[in-house]
Amino acid sequence: MRLHVDIRRHAYDDLAVLDGVAFTVEPGEILCLIGPSGCGKSTLLGIVGGLVRPTDGRVSTEGALPEGSLNPFTFVFQDFALLPWRSVAQNVAFPLEHHRLTASERDALVAEALRRTGLSDFAAALPKQLSGGMRQRVGIARALVVRPALLLLDEPLSALDAQTRELLTEDFLDLWLRERTTAIYVTHNLDEALRLADRVVVLSRRPGRIKEIVTVGVPQRARRGPEAATTLAALRERLWSLIRDEAAIADREMVHG
Amino acid sequence: MADTALREPGAAVRFRGGGFLPGTSRLAAVAAFVGLILVWQAAISFGLVSPVFLPSPVEIASALRDLTMSGELWRHLSISLVRIGSGWALGTAAGLCVGTAMALFSLARSVGLPMVSALYPIPKIALLPLLILWLGIGEVSKTATIALGVFFPTVIAVYSGIDNVPRNLIRMAQSFDVPFRDIVWKIALPGALPSIMSGFRISVSTALLLVVAAEMIGAESGIGAFVLQAGNLMQTDQLMAGVTVLSILGLIVGAALSWAERALLAWR
Amino acid sequence: MPNTGTTRRGALGLIAAASVTGARAEVEAIKVGVLKLASSGPVFLAQDLGLFASQGLDVQLRFFEAAQPVAVATVSGDVDVGVTGLTAGFYNLAGKGALKIVAAQAREEPGYKLVAVVASRKAAEAGLRRIEDLPGHAAAVTQVGSSFHYSLGLLAQTHGFDIARVRILPMQSVPNVVSALKGSQVDAAIIPATAATPLIASGDATLIAWADETPWQVAAMFTSPRMIATRRDALQRFVRAYQAGTAAFSAAFLALGPDGTPQPGPGAEAGLATIAKYTGQSVASVRDSIPYMDPQARLLVGDIYRQVRWYQGQKLVDAGVDPASVLDLGFVDRHLDLPK
Repeated sequence: MRLHVDIRRHAYDDLAVLDGVAFTVEPGEILCLIGPSGCGKSTLLGIVGGLVRPTDGRVSTEGALPEGSLNPFTFVFQDFALLPWRSVAQNVAFPLEHHRLTASERDALVAEALRRTGLSDFAAALPKQLSGGMRQRVGIARALVVRPALLLLDEPLSALDAQTRELLTEDFLDLWLRERTTAIYVTHNLDEALRLADRVVVLSRRPGRIKEIVTVGVPQRARRGPEAATTLAALRERLWSLIRDEAAIADREMVHG
Repeated sequence: MADTALREPGAAVRFRGGGFLPGTSRLAAVAAFVGLILVWQAAISFGLVSPVFLPSPVEIASALRDLTMSGELWRHLSISLVRIGSGWALGTAAGLCVGTAMALFSLARSVGLPMVSALYPIPKIALLPLLILWLGIGEVSKTATIALGVFFPTVIAVYSGIDNVPRNLIRMAQSFDVPFRDIVWKIALPGALPSIMSGFRISVSTALLLVVAAEMIGAESGIGAFVLQAGNLMQTDQLMAGVTVLSILGLIVGAALSWAERALLAWR
Repeated sequence: MPNTGTTRRGALGLIAAASVTGARAEVEAIKVGVLKLASSGPVFLAQDLGLFASQGLDVQLRFFEAAQPVAVATVSGDVDVGVTGLTAGFYNLAGKGALKIVAAQAREEPGYKLVAVVASRKAAEAGLRRIEDLPGHAAAVTQVGSSFHYSLGLLAQTHGFDIARVRILPMQSVPNVVSALKGSQVDAAIIPATAATPLIASGDATLIAWADETPWQVAAMFTSPRMIATRRDALQRFVRAYQAGTAAFSAAFLALGPDGTPQPGPGAEAGLATIAKYTGQSVASVRDSIPYMDPQARLLVGDIYRQVRWYQGQKLVDAGVDPASVLDLGFVDRHLDLPK
């Protein structure tokens, strides 16, 4: 399934948030959105996922949904958005409950999602008993359990410490390499973007426009190898130079409202 | 002033982080309670306080024993418990519905918020003559008095509880196309449960408080009527015995709620 | 019309002065607990006519909302003397040796219609017409053990049925009783005439009987044993001035005319104005709530005994209370209805 995003304008009252953002997400790719804070990355993701109504613009799909998909687009949230009164398994089962599934079908899907995210031993645990990294694994398992066509990840690792972030990036990549679920991944972390993305969409400061779409060009599997190091370092330099001035100006802006 | 000890070479760093972490000790609570009763009894036994004004704990205990032995206490208590229970259940059910509606729907919120602000502070006792006119002097008006008192704190607890459920949990459910009804049942209400439980603490105390007011309306029996009559008759030992029963009831219900909170809110 | 007022007041003062005897002593302060009701009239008259002052007393009035607190304040010493209704609660308190009844205040007396037994519209239509019809019905009173409750008990006794056959429903206040009557929530009620008259006029209630059939002591003046022991002389002077007040009250309001209803006597207009001033009520509502009282403030002693025994029979007064112990008959001469 291919996704066309074409936002001509998006504003909260008089405050323009996005201004002419158009791109296409190709099947099976990871598209990273980066940009200075407040540039409307998360809003853009919300629009793509149908949680925010754009002022003027449209998001459309092309092609068929994958076999057995219950929800076309699912989110992974920065703050995990787990239901604290439910166990890990119950949280993962949550998006299945309103679908017509037998209990055994549902249990099988949940068990499978837990297995893929390495959570099988934690099925009965409550969120409060888990570390941040494990909680986000639950968030990812929940997003995957419905077999989405498109994963929308909204700074999924920002709330975690550096080491956990590293671990989860690896695990997520392993998972993705096996299944190649199409994903839009919002981050403000250049290294994360360069580890995961096929392409990186660089947004300007508010109102967000596309400054450039950078193709990484090195397969994800090869990125830790020494031969990729130079290319990636150059790309990092390039991305940073695109963002740097924008970030500096955005940093000095007064918070709106 | 800087700590002079630190200026001397080799001085140990003084601990400064103590306090502001009060714990609770059951022993201290019981000891204070027993102490109070002993002082009270002593003050009367030694003639410092006239028993005309304050019956002694021994007198109250013996009044309580007589009431229990004669079956009077149970007769009054059972009638009141039915009133408290039905009034509380009714007020709570209505409060849950209205509070949920106010948290979810603009129209209900626009109408409900000013209504609650306007009606909550009205003392229910002031409404007794009206309640008698509308609902008579039977069980209905007594139940209604308690239900009315329970209704408002419940509405506020449910409304603010749901309002404070993290918006992101609801967005999460919407991102999975979870139907509105399921979002209410599976996210809004469980998420509001801590607030609803603390609302219950208030509403149960209110119900116990209002049983006396409710039984002002032509009640021949009931623990509230008993307390009122003892007051009217200046039977201070009976009065205090009745009040003691009410406060023991309050303690029991409080303990039950704590237990329920531990069981239902273990996820916090 | 200030002139007429002064003249009338003068006339009232003369009558009062005639009954005042005793010598002047140094001015002594006495705190008196009263309710803002017409029945406290003698105290208000005595105050305004200078009867207390002429006994060398500086009387300070303390106003209360209900009878019970007056009794409690008298026990605690917040007031020296109280003047209010007698209730089961009063006897329970007095029975602990904390209060002594000294002189009379209001009482029921044939011809003075202050308290009514009424039937609700529904009960009246269903045939509740006479006192004898009450058994098997529900009757509202303000409180269990109140003077209204006793009054109903007395009527039951007179009319030969057991009060236990009437369901007594305490409603705590007169407005609550009125509400219950209006909605026909109760079959009958016993209430003050001031509350009954409008209900009868509007058809919401039907008069069954006035409670003035049997004379009985509704209210009294009382004090603490400590007061009697330590300030006997001041108390005696207070009682004299109070008796002068009841005499003035009696002369002004209580003479019965040829039609058997009370007629205004000398000083009535000024007296009403005085009472209206102290109670904060209109002259008209004061006029409608003037109760009978003995001109010399003599007690119906036998009735105090009957009250205590009746309340004890209803288990509303502790069995150990001895009526004789709540009385001090030494301050007023020739009390009435003395038990043999």
